[in-house]
Amino acid sequence: MTIVGTGVDVKAGGRLSSSRSLLQPRLWWLAVPAALTFLVFFVIPVASLFGLSFNKSVAGVISYSSTLTLDNFVRIFTRATYYEAILRSIWISAIVSAIALLFGYPLAYVIAKTTNPGRNTLLMILVLSAMQLDMVIRMFGLMVLFGDNGLINGFLLYSGLISRPLPLMYNTFGVVVGLVQITLPFMVLSLIGIIKAIHPSLEEAARSLGASRGQAFFSIVLPLSMPGILAGTLLVFALSISSYVVPALMGGWKVIVLPIHIYQQIAEVGRWQFGAAIAVVLFITSIIAVAIYHQAAVRTSGGRT
Amino acid sequence: MREEAAIPLVFKAISMLSLAILLVPVGVVILAGLNAGDYLTFPPQGLSLRWIKAFLTSPTFLSAYTVSFVVALAATVISTVIGTMAAVFLTRSTSAFAPFLRGFFMLPIVLPGVVLGLALYVFFVTTGIGLARTMTGLLVGHILVTCPFVIATVTASLVGFDRSLEEAARSLGAGPFTAFRLVTLKIIAPAISAGSIFAFIVSFGQFELTLFLTAPDLQTLPAAMYVSMRYKFEPTAAAAGIFAIVLVVMSMVITSRLVNLKKIFER
Repeated sequence: MTIVGTGVDVKAGGRLSSSRSLLQPRLWWLAVPAALTFLVFFVIPVASLFGLSFNKSVAGVISYSSTLTLDNFVRIFTRATYYEAILRSIWISAIVSAIALLFGYPLAYVIAKTTNPGRNTLLMILVLSAMQLDMVIRMFGLMVLFGDNGLINGFLLYSGLISRPLPLMYNTFGVVVGLVQITLPFMVLSLIGIIKAIHPSLEEAARSLGASRGQAFFSIVLPLSMPGILAGTLLVFALSISSYVVPALMGGWKVIVLPIHIYQQIAEVGRWQFGAAIAVVLFITSIIAVAIYHQAAVRTSGGRT
Repeated sequence: MREEAAIPLVFKAISMLSLAILLVPVGVVILAGLNAGDYLTFPPQGLSLRWIKAFLTSPTFLSAYTVSFVVALAATVISTVIGTMAAVFLTRSTSAFAPFLRGFFMLPIVLPGVVLGLALYVFFVTTGIGLARTMTGLLVGHILVTCPFVIATVTASLVGFDRSLEEAARSLGAGPFTAFRLVTLKIIAPAISAGSIFAFIVSFGQFELTLFLTAPDLQTLPAAMYVSMRYKFEPTAAAAGIFAIVLVVMSMVITSRLVNLKKIFER
């Protein structure tokens, strides 16, 4: 009955297990290493950061003081530069989620319905490789394409279609393009499984009952994909609102979103307490967004089944 | 084959566009790294290996590549072990605490990397445990963001797992651990591999989290490239990128030989 070497020993146990209770051994110890790691290096640090945000902001000092104040938060919500950054972050992430869905759904559909194993594997490798590659490398590619001296403007100027470079980068447009590039694979992967699980006969049945291809898609396939759509949108929104590297590179520090403010406060001004307060606001904003999406997901999939 | 013909034309067209969004920037990085000029412009100035040479002789980028590789490998091993264990608990436990714990383990994905990195840095500095801007401190951060991917992947496969297979082994006299090892572990092995590949990917490409955890003498590849892009924008960064692209594509091709890529996402 103990941990033994090979399959032969399975018989050595001999007797039938007496009850189902044996199937429910004490398992809590399995979660201990992960839970402990998360407690020490996740819960405590984040809690400390929350704590720090209630301290008075003193440039260049990181230590806790017992006098608590709401000054940092008052400042965030009364100064336009900060509360506008919150709204900008939310707005950009919502746009990115919508665009990623628009581009991601068809690709996921094609991958789910491609039956040729070779072509299927190739598509999966392409999507996964694009996702795996780190964001900074991909932003390099986009910057070479979208810059004022970049390939797109270079080509358009060379061919005489424009006389001055188009502003494709260092603005909100550039940030949205960058975020879509980063988040698209996550959208596709959230959708493939769920589209694949929709049995083709459901669509065929609708077609045989006289539905057009479009009707069959919008009344059968799309509603059944809803859990995947919501999960993907949620993931893309959370990834977008948290992104520092895309606004920093594609926005050229001209599109100021929350993660940029955090970095500026800490690395440039050295006001740790105020930086911590912005981090807390970003954290809570993304948690609220996740909660709203989660509610929507539960309601939609609940209506479906 | 019949189904492929049924894919609407609009979807095929948009898919091509989506693939272009995903792949063109990658292609541009490769071209920029092999470009002869100081900067990739249109029309291009021809190919050369000068930036590849610059990368291979650059102490900054080479050591950054090594740091990234080592940290990713260590984070993968640790989070695969503790993540798989936790996933088994989460799917088997009847405790009311388990669903809460599952959501809790996913939090580092939701939590912005910049915030998590900042929280860790403040924690390391204020407690004085000597992890601020060290390899171990960096590794700790990477484990936090890689573990959720292992837990999610393995949990997904365990949820769909037919417990009666393991019960059959138990009723034939196998102990709980033996039954788990011989039946369950064999069946969920592809999910564990997939989870660990995810972990490696997430770690190797991690930038946001490391923003506050790296130091000038301890830079990961994404960090070194970011610095170069913000201040100099040399094609050396693109040449370094080529080596990262090769690593990623190779790991994907090998994975596709080991496990059925599509199976991972069918659940």
